[in-house]
Amino acid sequence: MRVAYFPGCVAKGNCPELNQATQKIAPLLGIELVELTGAPCTGAGVLQAQNPVLADTYNAKTLALAEELDLPLMTICSTCIGCLRKSNQKLSEDEGYRAEVNAVLKSGGHEYHGGVDVTHILYVLIKELGLDNLRGMVKKPLTDLRIAPFYGCYILRPASIMGIDDPDNPTSMERVIEALGGTPVDYYGKTRCCGFPIGLENEEASFKMAGKHIGEAKDKGADCMVTPCPLCHMNLDLQQPGVSQVVGRQLDMPVLHLPQMVGLALGLSPKELGFSKHIISAQGVLAKVGA
Amino acid sequence: MIEANLKVYRYDPQTAQEPHYDTYEVKELPDFATVLDALIKVREDIDGTLAMRCSCRSAVCGSCAFRVNGHAKLGCKTKVSTLAPDGEEICVEPMGNMKVIKDLVTEMDIFWDKLKQVKPWIETVGEPPEREYQVPAAKMVELQQPMNCIMCGACVSDCTVLEEDSKFLAPAALAKAYRVVGDPRHGKTKEWLTDLSEEGGIWDCTRCLECVEVCPKDVAPMDQIIKLREQAIEEGLTDNIGAKHVLHFTESVAHTGVLDERMLPIKAAGWGWAVKNAGIAIKATLKGKIKPLLPGSHPSVTEVQDVRRIHEELEEGKRK
Amino acid sequence: MIEYDVLVIGGGLAGMSAALHAGEVGASVAMVSKVYPTRSHSAAAQGGINAALGIEDSWEVHAYETVKGSDFLGDQDAIEILCRDGIQDVFALEHWGVIFDRNEEGNIHMRGFGGTDKSRTCHVGDMTGQTILHVMYERLLRMNVKSYDEWFVTTLLMEEGACCGAVAMDITSGKLEVFKAKAVIICTGGCGRVYEPSTNGLIVTGDGLSLAYRVGALLMDMEMVQYHPTTLPANGFLITEGARGEGAYLLNSEGERFMQEERYGATTLEEKASRDVVSRAETIEIQEGRGIDGCVLLDCRHIKDRILEAFHQISELAIDYAGVDITQDPLPIRPGMHYMMGGIKTDIDGRCYRHNGDGSEPLPGLYSAGEAACVSAHGANRLGGNSLLDCVTFGRKAGVHAAEYASSINSPNISEAVIEVEEQKIVDLFARSTNERAPALRLEMGEIMHTFTGVFREEAGLLEAERRIHAVRERYPEVSVHDKGRVFNTDLLAVLELDFMFDCAETIIASALARKESRGAHTRTDYPERDDENWLKHVAVYHTPDGPAVTYLPVTITKWQPEARQY
Repeated sequence: MRVAYFPGCVAKGNCPELNQATQKIAPLLGIELVELTGAPCTGAGVLQAQNPVLADTYNAKTLALAEELDLPLMTICSTCIGCLRKSNQKLSEDEGYRAEVNAVLKSGGHEYHGGVDVTHILYVLIKELGLDNLRGMVKKPLTDLRIAPFYGCYILRPASIMGIDDPDNPTSMERVIEALGGTPVDYYGKTRCCGFPIGLENEEASFKMAGKHIGEAKDKGADCMVTPCPLCHMNLDLQQPGVSQVVGRQLDMPVLHLPQMVGLALGLSPKELGFSKHIISAQGVLAKVGA
Repeated sequence: MIEANLKVYRYDPQTAQEPHYDTYEVKELPDFATVLDALIKVREDIDGTLAMRCSCRSAVCGSCAFRVNGHAKLGCKTKVSTLAPDGEEICVEPMGNMKVIKDLVTEMDIFWDKLKQVKPWIETVGEPPEREYQVPAAKMVELQQPMNCIMCGACVSDCTVLEEDSKFLAPAALAKAYRVVGDPRHGKTKEWLTDLSEEGGIWDCTRCLECVEVCPKDVAPMDQIIKLREQAIEEGLTDNIGAKHVLHFTESVAHTGVLDERMLPIKAAGWGWAVKNAGIAIKATLKGKIKPLLPGSHPSVTEVQDVRRIHEELEEGKRK
Repeated sequence: MIEYDVLVIGGGLAGMSAALHAGEVGASVAMVSKVYPTRSHSAAAQGGINAALGIEDSWEVHAYETVKGSDFLGDQDAIEILCRDGIQDVFALEHWGVIFDRNEEGNIHMRGFGGTDKSRTCHVGDMTGQTILHVMYERLLRMNVKSYDEWFVTTLLMEEGACCGAVAMDITSGKLEVFKAKAVIICTGGCGRVYEPSTNGLIVTGDGLSLAYRVGALLMDMEMVQYHPTTLPANGFLITEGARGEGAYLLNSEGERFMQEERYGATTLEEKASRDVVSRAETIEIQEGRGIDGCVLLDCRHIKDRILEAFHQISELAIDYAGVDITQDPLPIRPGMHYMMGGIKTDIDGRCYRHNGDGSEPLPGLYSAGEAACVSAHGANRLGGNSLLDCVTFGRKAGVHAAEYASSINSPNISEAVIEVEEQKIVDLFARSTNERAPALRLEMGEIMHTFTGVFREEAGLLEAERRIHAVRERYPEVSVHDKGRVFNTDLLAVLELDFMFDCAETIIASALARKESRGAHTRTDYPERDDENWLKHVAVYHTPDGPAVTYLPVTITKWQPEARQY
C-alpha cells in the first residue's frame, strides 16, 4: 500500500532513530512511504495556544498535500495524529471554517476539500496490513519478551476525534505485541500522560509522571516499554536519568519506538533500527531476542 | 430486564484500616439501567451500608461521579448494557485525587477550594446598565460549554498533573476561569489572567486530554485552558516559561516549518536550563541522537516559503 | 454551639438568594444544606425564568396570566411582586453573570412557554436552572457567605413561641450541632419523592415542610400538586415545556393533535396551555384508549433546527433513557409529578404563620421561600418559568426581612441540652433490629400517592389513600438502619427523610379531601366544577397529635376577579 508519510518534527529531530526504523520496516511490510517533504509541524497543541487558526491552516496544508496525492496520511507520532485529526474533523465538518482556511491556503497553490484519512502506523499495521499478515512476516518472534505498551494521550483521546481504539481499555498495542510473539504487560499507567508537555514548565511533575509509569511497568515485570509516540519517548528514554533521580529509583527501563519493535521481529539489526541512539541501553532486550 | 455484576470498593474508616471490594449481583434492572441505578438497587435491596452520593439521576446535579472500570464517569450517565453487554463485571471505585470518606464518597474539598481559588465570578466595572448588558449572542453560546460543568469532579479525579502536583488548579476550576475571563461583561480580564499564569495555573496543564475524555457534559476543560493561554498571550502576559514556550515554538515553526527542539527549551526556559541539562544533551549528541547545534543542522521543509507566508498572513490578521 | 443572626436551611436557588440578601443588609448568615449547594434540585429546571421584558409585554399581563394560571387561587399581592419586582431580579442575575441566550441585538432572548402567547421566558439553552444556580453560588463565594455543606437538619428549635435555631448533623462525621439563630429561613424545596414516579431528585424529600409543620407552621395549598405534561415513562425525567413553547405538538395514538379539541378548553394556545390543562387532557386521552403504553407523543420533528440549537439536554435525555432521537421520531411522554404549589404558608416578606383561633398569626423567627414556601404566587397551578423567579424574588425578600427582624431582637436563649433529645432519637433508630426498610416504605407511599392523589382525585380514593398511608406509617417504628456507623450514613438519612415525607403525604391528602371542588391542578371527579362561591379560599393545615387539622385562609384579590378559564 502507498501512504502519504508525515514523520513529524521529532522523528526528524531528537528521535531520528524513529524515522530511520520506519523507513527500514516499511518496504518489508509492503508499505510505500511517499514523504510529504513540504508539510509543516502540526502545532503539537502548543502553537494552538497562540493562534489556533494558524495551526489549523498548517494542518490543512498537510492534509491538502495528502489529498493531492489521493493517499491516506500516515503519522508515526501520537501527538501528530491527534492534532491532524482534530483539525481534519473541524475542516471536514465545518464548511464555513474550511472556506476561511482555504482562503489563506490558496495563495500557496493548495486547497483542502476535506475527508482525508489520517492514521498512524499502529493502526496501519492492524487495519491495513492485518495482524495475521504481520504475524506471517515475523522472522524473530519476541518470545519471552515482556513488553509494556505506553500509548501516549493523543492516539486515544478524545474518542470523539480518535474513535479508533477504546480510550478506557485500548488493545491495539497489545495485539501488535502478541502478533510479534511478545507478551504484553498490563498496567494502569499505559494510557496516562508521560509528562513531556510540561517538562519545561513543571519539570518535577513531568518527571514524576514518567517515573510513575516506568516504575509501574517495571513492577509488573516488563523487560521494556514500547511507545507509538516520540514525545513520550523523549520523557521516558532521553530524560530517564533525570526521571530516576526525581523518583529516587534506578529505573533502567529500555523504551522502544513501535517501529523498532516491529523491526526487531522482522529480523532487522539493532544498528539498522538506530538502537545505539537510545539513552537507556536496550542491550538486554536485544540479547533476549537474539538480535 | 438486565443484570449487573458489580464489584464495589468498600471502605469504612470506623471499622477497617484498609478498603476491600464487595461483589453484588443486581437482578431485574430495566434495559436502560445505569450504573447508578444498579448501585441504588444495591443500597435499597441488598446492602444498606453502601455509602454514595446521588440525587437527580439525569446528569445535572453532579453528585454521582465514580471511577468505573478505572476511569471517572457519572454513574447516572453510564449504561450497564453498554459497559457490560454480556454481564461482565463492572468495577466501581471512588474518584481519584481525593481522600475517601466512606465507600464511594470522597472528600470534595480539593474541588471546591480550587474553584474558589480562581475567583469564579465576574466583576463588572462601573455602574451596571438599567436593563441587561448587551453582549454578542454567539459569545454567550460559546460560554455555554464551560458553563455546562456540573462540578461532578470527574476531570479532577483523573487529572494526571494533579496526581503529581497538588498545587495544580486542575481542569474544572480552570474551565470555570475561562467562563469568567471569556465573558465580555467581566472587567478584570488581565487581573484574572495574571493570577492564572502563576505556578499551578494554565501553563501547568500537560494537555493529556483525560479531562476532555472523562467529562460527562462535554465541557472539554482542556480546550478552555488553551483558550485561556491564548488570551493570556494576547494580554501580553508572556513573562513565564509557558508563554515563552508557545511563542518560540510558533517562531521556530514559522522559520523552517519544523520545530527545532534543541533551541526551544533554551529560548523558553533560559540558559540555566541548558546548563542543567548539559550532561544529557552531550550524551545524546555523542550517541548521534541529537544533532550538534551547527549551521544547517536544522533543515527546512521544502515549502518553507509558503509556511512563512501563511504565518505572516494569519499572525498579521490576528493582530488586526 | 454555632450562632448566626440568620440561618438558611437549604442551598438551592431560594436559599442562596435569601442568604445573599440577608448578608448584604448586614446580618451574619449561614446556609445549611444536606448536599453541596450546586447539587440542589434548582439545577434541574431546564426551560427558563419569566420576566416581561418585551415591548409587547408588561408585568401586568404577566401577572394576569399568572393569576389565570393559578385558577384565581393565587394571592394577587404576591403575584404583583413576582411579576413586577421580579424583572429587576432577573436583571440582577444578568449583571452577576448569567449567560442568558441573546437575540441579534445582544439583548436577552425570550422563548414561549405554557399559559401565555407571549415570549417572556429568559433562558440559557435548556440549562437555565443550572446556570442561575451556579452563578448565584459563585456570587456567594464572592460575598464569602458561610455554607455548611452536607449537614442535615433534624429539628427546629423554639423558645418562647419563636423559632431560634436548629439542630443539624454533619453528615461526614455524623455529629450533631446546635445552630442558634435569631431567624431561620426554610428553603428546602418541595417533596417530590413523596410521589413515585416524580421528576424530582432523590434529595427532594420535603424535610423543611415537615420541620416547619412540627413546630406549628401552617402548610397551605398542599392539595395543589403539579403534574408536568411531558415526563419520560422510564424514570419520570423532565422534558422541558420549552419544547412546546417552541412549537412541539402533542399527538395521541391516532396521530391527532388532541389539544385542539374543544373539550380541553385550549383551542387558542393548544399545546401551550397551562400545565394542569395539558396534563388533564393527556390523562383523558390515555384513559380513553388513545395512548401508547400509557403515554402520548411529543412531536419535535418540525422544529428540529431549534432542538439542535437550544435543547441539548433533552435531546440527550431522550436518547439515553428512551432510545429516541427526537429530531427523527416522536417521543413517548406522560404527565408526571413535578412541583408543589403548596408549602409553608408565608406572607410577601417570607414570614411563616401558625394557626390561631379562627385565623392565623405570624410565627416569629421562622421564614420560608421557594418551593418549600407557599406565598401563594402559584395558587392552584404554576406557570412554567415562574418557579425560578419565585425562588430568586421571594428568597430575596425573605432574606432581607429576616435580617431586619434579626437586628431588632436579642440573642435567643437556648441550651446545648437539646442535642441530647436528637441524639437519643438516632441512638434509638440504631437500636432497632426490625425488618422494615425505608426505601420499600417510600416506594409504597409513592405509589399510593400517585394512584390516588394524581391528576384526578375523588373522595373514595382519597380516603383509601389516607387509610393506606396511615397503615404504611404505622410500620415506621419497624424500620431499621443497617449501617450502624456515624460516618456518611446515607442509610440513616433515608430513615429520617422518610419520617418527614409521611407528614407531607398526610397533609396533601387532608388538603385534597377538604377541597370539594375542581381548581387548577386539583381535579375532583366527584366535584368537577370550580366553585368560587364556596372555595375561593386557601386550604391550610396544621399539626395536631391526631394528624393534620384543616383551616381556611382568604385569597388576596387586588385587580383580577375570577372568570372562566379558557386557553
